[in-house]
Amino acid sequence: MRRVPENASLHDVTVVLDDRTILRGISLELGPGLTLLRGPNGAGKTTLLRAFAGLAPLARGRRSMPGGPPLYIGHRPMLLRGLTARENLAFLAAFRGLVASDVADALRKWGLGDEMDRPVERLSAGQRRRASLARIETEQVGLVLLDEPFADLDADALVRLRAALNTSLIRGQAVLMATHLHHELDQDAAHSYVLDDGALREL
Amino acid sequence: MNALDRALLIAARELAAERRHPDGFVAALTFTGLLVLMESLAFGPGQARQPGVASALFWIAILFAATLVATRSFDRELEDDAIDAVLVLDGGREALYAGKLVAIWVVLAIVALAAALLSLVLLDPGVALPGHLVLIGVLGTLALPPVIVLTTLLALRVRARVALVPILSFPILIPQLVACTQGAAAALTGDASAALGWAGILAAFALVYGALGLTIVPAAIE
Repeated sequence: MRRVPENASLHDVTVVLDDRTILRGISLELGPGLTLLRGPNGAGKTTLLRAFAGLAPLARGRRSMPGGPPLYIGHRPMLLRGLTARENLAFLAAFRGLVASDVADALRKWGLGDEMDRPVERLSAGQRRRASLARIETEQVGLVLLDEPFADLDADALVRLRAALNTSLIRGQAVLMATHLHHELDQDAAHSYVLDDGALREL
Repeated sequence: MNALDRALLIAARELAAERRHPDGFVAALTFTGLLVLMESLAFGPGQARQPGVASALFWIAILFAATLVATRSFDRELEDDAIDAVLVLDGGREALYAGKLVAIWVVLAIVALAAALLSLVLLDPGVALPGHLVLIGVLGTLALPPVIVLTTLLALRVRARVALVPILSFPILIPQLVACTQGAAAALTGDASAALGWAGILAAFALVYGALGLTIVPAAIE
């Protein structure tokens, strides 16, 4: 575990949801680079990501996010229906105080050049997923949290995601990814953890 | 970006989505229009134009309309977990509350204006103090949403949210409803000092519950 004080971290975090303990005394610090999170279904991977994102209530422990709010991309696209992909990404970038001028470029890179001005509910699941992952490029933050980012993606989008991740890692961003497709990423990962029954173990 | 900018950004996002898919607006407009129409039929023209009756039914319709608009607004946020993208951000929770208030007020003000025009046409109640009536309309539509948005946020992940929000919020809103009704009735009958008094009470309700929501919401949203 890294000991750089500027890193995002969880300290002795326990999360209880619906009377069930999901995370038990987890401590994890995320430095620059890719950290993979593995584990069986229901192990608590999503809850751990949500704890880092500030979306899971902590029954015990504390969360430290010195670099500002992370970028969290969950199972679902997290885009508001009624707005276009471009409007959604521009809004989220603007909320962070970022210039939203590169939104169109990012969406074009993700193959949504012709679709970026359609309301997101008219896009396919894969296209919505692409639009949500384009946020990696429009919201360049210190910590990126990705929950099963490969779901719904075709071969082209997988290549694009790998490229976006490489760019993030070159920039020095910390990336925490929950995935079952770890074999393809093991060589790029700085750290790999297994989460099982609410406890974390480094591989 | 300061807190006001963030709230206005949320309001603009909400209004853009509502403009493209005006589900909440259309439901609220239909409901209030039908209620005014049913009132004129059920009471008959003589009784329906009584200031107390016309005002009370109008504001009950606006109260239900506010609930419809707020519920639809948060349904949209929960589809695809769009709300999580905002809650992660610094100041996102307060901005979500304040921005929704602004957007819902805009939608509600349009619905109230349309319902008021329909009431004037169908009931012909006679308006002694139109300026005072507009003031009560503006402050009444500002005083109702804070409690409704707050209870909607508190019940966000509850399955029976649609039933729970009115059950939780309407008892709290009875004083506001009385102030709206009495203020509008006073404006219709020409009692300027009473109308202004009720307007002051409505302004106080809007401020107190608006501020209360801003202090509760950051810790209360799950």
